[in-house]
Amino acid sequence: MKNNRSIFFLSAGLILLIGSFLLNISLGSVAISPIEIVKGIFTGDWVKESTKQIILNYRLPKALVAIFAGFGLSLSGLQMQTFFRNPLAGPFVLGISSGAGLGVAILMLAGTIFGFSSTSDFNTWAIAFAGTIGASLVLVMVSLVAWRIKDSMTLLIVGLMFGSAVSAIISVLSYYSNADSLKLFTVWSMGSLGGLGWSQVWVLLLMIVLGFLPILASVKSYNAMLLGESYAKSMGINPSTIRWFMILSTGLLAGSITAFCGPIAFIGIAVPHLARMVWKTADHRILFPASAVMGSILLLLCDAISQLPGYAQTLPINAVTSLVGAPIVISLVLKKNFSKEF
Amino acid sequence: MKREAISGKNLSLGYQKGNDKKTILEGLNFSLQSGELTCLLGPNGVGKSTLVKAILGEIKPFKGEITIGGKTNSDFSNAELAKELAVVLTEPILPGNMTVSQLVALGRIPYTNWTGKLNQLDREKVNQALAATKITYLKDERLSEISDGQRQKAMIARALAQDGKVMILDEPTAHLDLVNRYEIMHLLREICVNEEKAILVVTHDLEIALETADQFWLLNCGTPLIAGLPEDLVISGQINELLPGKEFHFDPEKGKIQKTSDLPAWNISGDKNLTYWIQKAFSKKNIGLLDNLIEVKNEPFQILFEGKTFLSLEEFFKFLGSRKS
Repeated sequence: MKNNRSIFFLSAGLILLIGSFLLNISLGSVAISPIEIVKGIFTGDWVKESTKQIILNYRLPKALVAIFAGFGLSLSGLQMQTFFRNPLAGPFVLGISSGAGLGVAILMLAGTIFGFSSTSDFNTWAIAFAGTIGASLVLVMVSLVAWRIKDSMTLLIVGLMFGSAVSAIISVLSYYSNADSLKLFTVWSMGSLGGLGWSQVWVLLLMIVLGFLPILASVKSYNAMLLGESYAKSMGINPSTIRWFMILSTGLLAGSITAFCGPIAFIGIAVPHLARMVWKTADHRILFPASAVMGSILLLLCDAISQLPGYAQTLPINAVTSLVGAPIVISLVLKKNFSKEF
Repeated sequence: MKREAISGKNLSLGYQKGNDKKTILEGLNFSLQSGELTCLLGPNGVGKSTLVKAILGEIKPFKGEITIGGKTNSDFSNAELAKELAVVLTEPILPGNMTVSQLVALGRIPYTNWTGKLNQLDREKVNQALAATKITYLKDERLSEISDGQRQKAMIARALAQDGKVMILDEPTAHLDLVNRYEIMHLLREICVNEEKAILVVTHDLEIALETADQFWLLNCGTPLIAGLPEDLVISGQINELLPGKEFHFDPEKGKIQKTSDLPAWNISGDKNLTYWIQKAFSKKNIGLLDNLIEVKNEPFQILFEGKTFLSLEEFFKFLGSRKS
């Protein structure tokens, strides 16, 4: 019975995902009907050349990035919450976003301070590269600590401290940099799903697939981890294996997403909670797909809103995810006994 | 058929921090038999949890070795050990969204493939564990919505589903009400007898342990582990090892721990069961020797004193109080 219910919800979620996907690419400064889009994609028969350009080179990659980012961030968040047994944990608790931020800040801000950068126009590859380097650097430092300590709570605190220290360096850089580059950096830190070309979309997809593999291998272990590390160990789970899988997986998922799209707030923390509330289960065999589907839907819809349909302007994606998401979560949390359901 | 499930020889246990070795237990020998319920008793801080951790392989002994089914426990991998022994720990945090049957099914983790899917045998074992702990009726309830006692039974069912030869429970009856304490200990006894398991329970409930245990292990600071039949330990008076100092002692007659004090020789006549409780009340109220005979009668309960009749001890104490002033 229970299983059927979960499968029903998952199927409904998948249909909703396809719906949101079509909605996302049909809305924008110019509304294009979904039928036209489907026809265009599958038959290559477009009504107007401009429509083809808009869909294929702009909206389609952006919608795919929204799906990948929603998928990756939600899965990272769920892993962190279960591993640390902390409902406030998210994909960035190990300092990944701060690390990526530092990389990008050095690229954008430090150049103007020390005078080695003359241009304020950075291409996406350079930003992604800087973000990846920064995120990996922090991740390596956290891993070195993780090597030495056994306690997961200590790891959580160390991750947060690394994050704070790195943020402090970014503040110093911001303080001394000029207004133009500071604005560029601020805009980056608000997140953006757009502006990526197909080659970047494929790289992101590859990273997401690689980051997903450790999850596949440890679904069962996450269920055991719900009872805490000691119980998990008594059931034959090796806590250090799952810890390395978690660091690897969230590093690849959250790290690559942050490098390409900037730090996207809220999705990673909130979606696992929404999935738990809707599916009413603690079983990770259901929670992982559920969070993935839900995260993708949520980010597609937030992106559709951020396009301000009918206008040429867009809102930063971070503002929309938080403005739309926070009320949803607050209302759900108030309605249900949140802490008991975790 | 009793068989040795776990044994420890000449163990020296403790914690190491850098070069700083802190030995907590030394020269420890024990043998846990299958089909027996063994209770480990001892004051806080004496090293009961250390011993449990050593058996689970979480800490390595400084000296000596622990064998499980004849094989040294450091030779077991985590996954192999999980098939031999299951635990119920004191950690209280549980996911409220999980149902009882899902919790019990977690016990099958050592046997399932990487997806954790249960096969026919796994499902049977889960159902058997639910039946053995008598919580089948709770199987679809969520953990946030059942009582502490029911949750503890569910944890025991989970350990049972893990299907090892040994179960170790760390204070399974702490925080539970009286009835649940008895129920859980009797339940463990049943499991132990019916399923031929070796069960080790760390507990502070001496009275309930006396009712249910086949074997007692007494741990005390500075003395080696005392093992034996609970009744033997009571008769020989070794049970008093649990109670350092002279202030308390174990009363073999009542099966209870009592405060050691020289009671005044009150002159009370009547049924022995009644005079026992009257003496207890007197000693709590610090009543000195009374000049006259106190006569106690049963059905209905009456206290006759200096020609007056009292129907309860409370009434009697009121009278004594008024007489004093």
